[in-house]
Amino acid sequence: MGVRRIDVRLCNGCGICIDHCPMDVLRLDHTRMKAYIKYIRDCQSCFLCETECPQGAIYCLPLHERRMVTAW
Amino acid sequence: MKREVRIKDIDVLVIGGGLAGTYAAIKAKEGGASKVVQVDKGHVGKSGNSCFGAGVMHVFFPEQDDLEDRIRRLARSLGYIAQQDLIQEYLEDSFEILNEMDTLGVDFVKTAEGEIERRPGRGYYPIVMFRGFQLMDAMSRVARKRGVEQVNKVMMTGLLTSDERVVGAVGFNLLDGDFYVFESHATVVATGSTWYKGLLPGQRDCTGDGYAIAYRAGAFLSGAEVNDQLTNLMPARYDIGPGMNKYVGEGGIFLNSKGERFMEHYNPRLKERAGLRILATVFSIEAKRGNTPIYMDMTHFAPEQVRRLKEVLPLAMKMFERVGIVESDRFVKLVEWMPCAPVARPGLAVNSRFETSLPGLYVCGEAAAPQAVVTGLASAATSGAKAGKYATEYTAQEGTRASPVPGQVAELREYTFKPLQMKDGIEPDQVLLALQEVVIPYNVLLLRDGERMRAAVQEVEDIRDNQVPFLAAYDPHYLRMAHEARNLTLVAEIQMRAALFRTESRTALREDYPYTDNKEWLQWILVKRGDKNMELKPEPVPIEKYPIQVQRSKTLHHLWQTAQNRGIVTLEGGKVKWV
Repeated sequence: MGVRRIDVRLCNGCGICIDHCPMDVLRLDHTRMKAYIKYIRDCQSCFLCETECPQGAIYCLPLHERRMVTAW
Repeated sequence: MKREVRIKDIDVLVIGGGLAGTYAAIKAKEGGASKVVQVDKGHVGKSGNSCFGAGVMHVFFPEQDDLEDRIRRLARSLGYIAQQDLIQEYLEDSFEILNEMDTLGVDFVKTAEGEIERRPGRGYYPIVMFRGFQLMDAMSRVARKRGVEQVNKVMMTGLLTSDERVVGAVGFNLLDGDFYVFESHATVVATGSTWYKGLLPGQRDCTGDGYAIAYRAGAFLSGAEVNDQLTNLMPARYDIGPGMNKYVGEGGIFLNSKGERFMEHYNPRLKERAGLRILATVFSIEAKRGNTPIYMDMTHFAPEQVRRLKEVLPLAMKMFERVGIVESDRFVKLVEWMPCAPVARPGLAVNSRFETSLPGLYVCGEAAAPQAVVTGLASAATSGAKAGKYATEYTAQEGTRASPVPGQVAELREYTFKPLQMKDGIEPDQVLLALQEVVIPYNVLLLRDGERMRAAVQEVEDIRDNQVPFLAAYDPHYLRMAHEARNLTLVAEIQMRAALFRTESRTALREDYPYTDNKEWLQWILVKRGDKNMELKPEPVPIEKYPIQVQRSKTLHHLWQTAQNRGIVTLEGGKVKWV
């Protein structure tokens, strides 16, 4: 299910996850200065946001987020 | 009305933020270009294939390797329709590039003496290894330090031209929807290949955008139907990968639904360690015979093997743990395995100076035709370095600067934002799904047949005519997804038509043309946008000019031969019949 949680207690609003997400899944809530998951269907479960988050605030699962058409 | 951001007087514009593009930008700066702008729809260094590379680089070591043998192996992996001069150049350049990257701060695996180490991997020659994300982090930092201006979150939607000369590009920003106009003297396309957003996490942002904008501007594309890789193979039900190279290296085996270790029959010597193309084709043959699902069995691995895998593939192993496949350093379940979606590389045709058929437009990495640039990070780097160098030389020539044709910017702006105006249109997800249902099933492009491909072309045309024009977007994010679905539909049409045009089995098997025809088909297929329809034409491979020769004969493809020997198929009227 790709990126599944951004812990608001840990997130400091630095925006690294938003800048680095190759699929443009995340956005910043400018009033609260917290990242949030906006376009979950497009997540590719690459774990880049979890890997790069300096606060350890992000948790991902390597499951398909949308129906995956496969070879059979 | 969105703002228009105009960036003028660019010497070299680079589209794409992977290793090829980053190298091109660095070399453009080195060559004396004063304004170099690199654009990515994600973030330079964090998008595409390069940053997710599984730590492997194929480098020619001049004092240890046999150059001719290495050219032969690469030419063979491309079915002998390689541009051997460019393959040779990549091999010869690769050692110097490796050392340069080392100097620039890329963290390669080294021996105790501090020498860059090579270890056995898949393939005949040992490989150089690096540490995941660090490579692109280092290289994009170098580019910034040298003064390359990196523009992130901007997706390119069209090339600007003057006569046939490319003089820039346009795109839009994914966060605020602003329209961007880049006016450049030379432009380098470095947007990678595509896997139709199928299995294989880390590549779903590669959607053939460079192929699409170049095609629409009138460039020749080539290699859509052939590649050195047919596809990759991955865990089927999870987003985990890549890493197969390492699993089979530790002794992972494939079992079909009957519990047979089938690779023993197809490649008794290498078995699971056979080349990717052979694995993908054999998996497809097993599927045709009804022997799916296929599993990777790693349950016999000792805990120390699993710990070793954790060292080289920390991310993939963490993913396996998260879904309960690895527990206490053991694989506790079989993992269903499957070919990914077919790779599509209708790359820009290039000459030995990495010039495309449009003056001012250069290409590198997997955005180039596969016969010119083989898959992999080393060739991405060497081709990027060359494209950056030649693009910069072009900017020094007199009479090559021009302004875009009047009205073109406005026209491209309308084209770019059209999905935002389509209030009652179709969501990009629907179009993508429809397309994937046509191109991803194994028996269309992995195991080919004329009748099936003709039916698939009709379905792609149907999507092109009845869905793509109605693509709708709610905001700039969806606008990106809409353009990606549109670009992938075009890529699918090009790939399918080229695959039908090649009436033989070469890098992929065809049931209706099971022979490899070195009398008639030592040819590339060039594709170009015509006035009304897509135009395809063959061009002979000048093989006599190259170091590696091939016998001009017509022979049954060796995998069909194996299948025939095993009694899986027979030949009837020159076609394959399944037993």
